Amino acid sequence: MSIVIRDLHKAFDGKVVLDGFEVEARDGETLVILGGSGSGKSVTLKHVVGLLTPDKGQVEVDGEVVSDLRREELFVLRRKVGYVFQFAALFDSMSLADNVAMGLRRQSDMDRKEIEERVEECLRLVDLDGFGPRAPSELSGGQRKRAGIARAIATRPQYLLYDEPTTGLDPVTRAMIDQLILRMSSELGVTGIVITHDIDSAFRVADRFAMLHEGRCRFQGTPEEIRETDDPVVRGFIEGRPELLENAS
Amino acid sequence: MSRSKEALVGVVILASVIVVTFGTLWLQGVTLAATETEITAVFANVGVIRPGNPVKYRGVRVGRVREITVDPGGELVRVVARIQEDTPMPADAVAILAPESLFGDWQLEITPRDRFPEYRYAQPDDPDHLPGYAIPDISQLTATADRISADIEILTERVGIAFSEETARNVASLIDNVEEVTQRLSELVSQQAGAFTDVTGEIQEATQRIGEAAASARMSFDQVGETLSREELARILEDLAVVAENTREFSGDLDETGSELRGMAARADSTFARVNVLLAQVEAGDGTLGRLLQDPAIAMEVEGTLQELQLLLEDIRENPRRYLRLSIF
Amino acid sequence: MTRILSQPFISMGRGATLLAAGIGRWGMLTAETVRALRHVDVWLRLLVPQMARVGVDSVPIALFIALFTGIVLSLQASYTFTGAIPLYFVGVLVGKTMMLELGPVLTGLALSGRVGANIAAELGTMRVTEQIDALETLAYPPVAYLVVPRVLASIIMFPIVTALAIAVGIAAGWITAIQLLDMSTAEFVNGLTLFFLPFDVTYALIKATSFGFMVATIGCFFGFHTRGGAEGVGHSTTRAVVVSSMVILVLDAFWAVTLL
Ligand SMILES: Nc1ncnc2c1ncn2[C@@H]1O[C@H](COP(=O)(O)OP(=O)(O)OP(=O)(O)O)[C@@H](O)[C@H]1O
Ligand SMILES: [Mg+2]
Repeated sequence: MSIVIRDLHKAFDGKVVLDGFEVEARDGETLVILGGSGSGKSVTLKHVVGLLTPDKGQVEVDGEVVSDLRREELFVLRRKVGYVFQFAALFDSMSLADNVAMGLRRQSDMDRKEIEERVEECLRLVDLDGFGPRAPSELSGGQRKRAGIARAIATRPQYLLYDEPTTGLDPVTRAMIDQLILRMSSELGVTGIVITHDIDSAFRVADRFAMLHEGRCRFQGTPEEIRETDDPVVRGFIEGRPELLENAS
Repeated sequence: MSRSKEALVGVVILASVIVVTFGTLWLQGVTLAATETEITAVFANVGVIRPGNPVKYRGVRVGRVREITVDPGGELVRVVARIQEDTPMPADAVAILAPESLFGDWQLEITPRDRFPEYRYAQPDDPDHLPGYAIPDISQLTATADRISADIEILTERVGIAFSEETARNVASLIDNVEEVTQRLSELVSQQAGAFTDVTGEIQEATQRIGEAAASARMSFDQVGETLSREELARILEDLAVVAENTREFSGDLDETGSELRGMAARADSTFARVNVLLAQVEAGDGTLGRLLQDPAIAMEVEGTLQELQLLLEDIRENPRRYLRLSIF
Repeated sequence: MTRILSQPFISMGRGATLLAAGIGRWGMLTAETVRALRHVDVWLRLLVPQMARVGVDSVPIALFIALFTGIVLSLQASYTFTGAIPLYFVGVLVGKTMMLELGPVLTGLALSGRVGANIAAELGTMRVTEQIDALETLAYPPVAYLVVPRVLASIIMFPIVTALAIAVGIAAGWITAIQLLDMSTAEFVNGLTLFFLPFDVTYALIKATSFGFMVATIGCFFGFHTRGGAEGVGHSTTRAVVVSSMVILVLDAFWAVTLL
């Protein structure tokens, strides 16, 4: 029940994004990945569910190498993983309720009523109760983001990958989402990877931290360790001091 | 997805299935309402009839030809047609295949035998089958007309090459042939005309002209046979000019059946025009008769023209669509 | 100097390689579509809505085009057929042309603009907004979910719309012949049936089916391989329409050579 990323390499049209990234999210823990914009965090996350295939290296989920799986096996794996997209990626041809119900219809044998109840429940968890019949285009950016979270957690997956779940939310909603992430791990034992630029929220949810810098893992450790590290790149990033980063490179 | 949208899809699908099914059946001439019955007729040959061609009774369309098979023995062709059940069958019914129009579509007509007793009907082995006869095709008529023209042309040539007594005899017999052919031709034409079609009218007229031309040629050559004087020859030539003129008109008639023919006819026209000019010259006294008649260019042109005409006519008959399409697009 | 001379050939070679690669990827998507047919549970629910979008919504434009084509054919035929050619050939021309050529091809072109563009734009948008990725993470095979219902709907609905268009075109030609050309219904119908073969209908439907298949697969292909935001979507849409229109015309010639 863990996600292990080993020596991950990925380049797009010759432009190297990941250059031997290694990190591990252990069973039941929430790993926060930090990193500058464009450093390859989203790319990393897509490798975990096989949306991208590595140029070199591998991602292991539940002890299975994702890029070695056949299509059917990949779908089986994906049923265990919930993915919160950075820009929500809601299906704009359907209502919010249908969006949330999509995974349930495919992956569970719940009947209509049970699905309806579960959808209600998930929407309530992200503070969107009553929004079920709305179309995604009628929502604000923050509401979409939360709907995306509701869709990802609806099937109660064992793994949850959050790509910037709190970006663009007000402080109260942000705290609420952090609560949700914590509840998912404590109550359901979810193994999670959270990508975020929001340091406060990162410290609230993280069991461990990793920092992706120039395609590699620059730091890996507990919240205490990251507070005390003297790596200027990490310090510069979490304290928001670009001059430290410049000095380092 | 609302119910009404699904219903709409259903309606569109049904509409198109209905359109395709009934449209095809209707265009094929199958009527679902009236009950139909099958008849079979036997023929020695069936000309150019095809499945789908109409079956008529006294000029009224009563059904369609369905199937054409050669008898295992190879002697007979069986044509199966479906006709409306209530079509009255004459006591001694026969089937006649004839063209319905000039454009190559044929029909099967059911008629009492005593209307056309002269035809040689194929004899069916099954008493329920109708005896049948296929009218010779229009192409045979035109081919015969062409042959006559060719004969006249050969005749002209002979006159030129060696105008001896023997030639005169040949000419006379040739003219006999021409007359015979013309006779046959007009017989065929009257058969066709009798067989419920009016498309042969033009051809009939043309044939008549050829007949007249041949007759007048005959009169001339009869005289040739007796006296071979120079003056007589001049008159023969005059008559020939008439023949040429008539032939030209004949091709002029055919001209209307296809635009392609026009250019060809124009050539024939100029050929004959040249003959006329030369004749005029002879009459005026310049050049000798022998040279005139031996002019190989004229002979070749006439012959070539007539050959082309014949090929074209055959082609029009076999592929009417080709010529139609040419003028459509 | 040699650079200048060889440059056009190098570009041509590159163009040919790109074309071949495009055809190859299209073929792979098509093969995957066939393989995805086994996920009946995924695509079956979506088939009817797609049929409504491809077919029902396209009926008005297809019939509109057919209506005017029929009228014009009838008028032009009567203008062309002067003198020796009997007027009932108006019926032959309207019937044959609608069935063999204009019905399937004009409907195909109209629908390639409507359906092909629609598919490419929709799938393109889904691609650039990561909705296709989202489908994958929810364990939906995207080809079965998106491509199969659209391709099947097009294969089913193109011939259906074409059949209606042909019928409307012939009816329009007929009414024109009666109203404006002083022909009788009997004359027109005589022409219509004169050279009619049941194969004409089969031929029209085969053509329409193949057009539907091509328009849908090409639309899906360009939609699926869209890159780069709204501009990319626009680009894919345009290319889908241009390519599928060209393919329709090429296919039209292909069928004429192979089937007639
Ligand atoms: N499909 C792709 N094709 C080409 N380049 C890509 C693709 N996906 C990502 N990239 C490139 O990879 C790099 C990393 O992208 P990624 O989305 O992982 O950044 P990120 O770390 O998530 O940044 P942000 O915090 O802004 O979301 C970027 O430079 C991006 O341009
Ligand atoms: Mg990102």
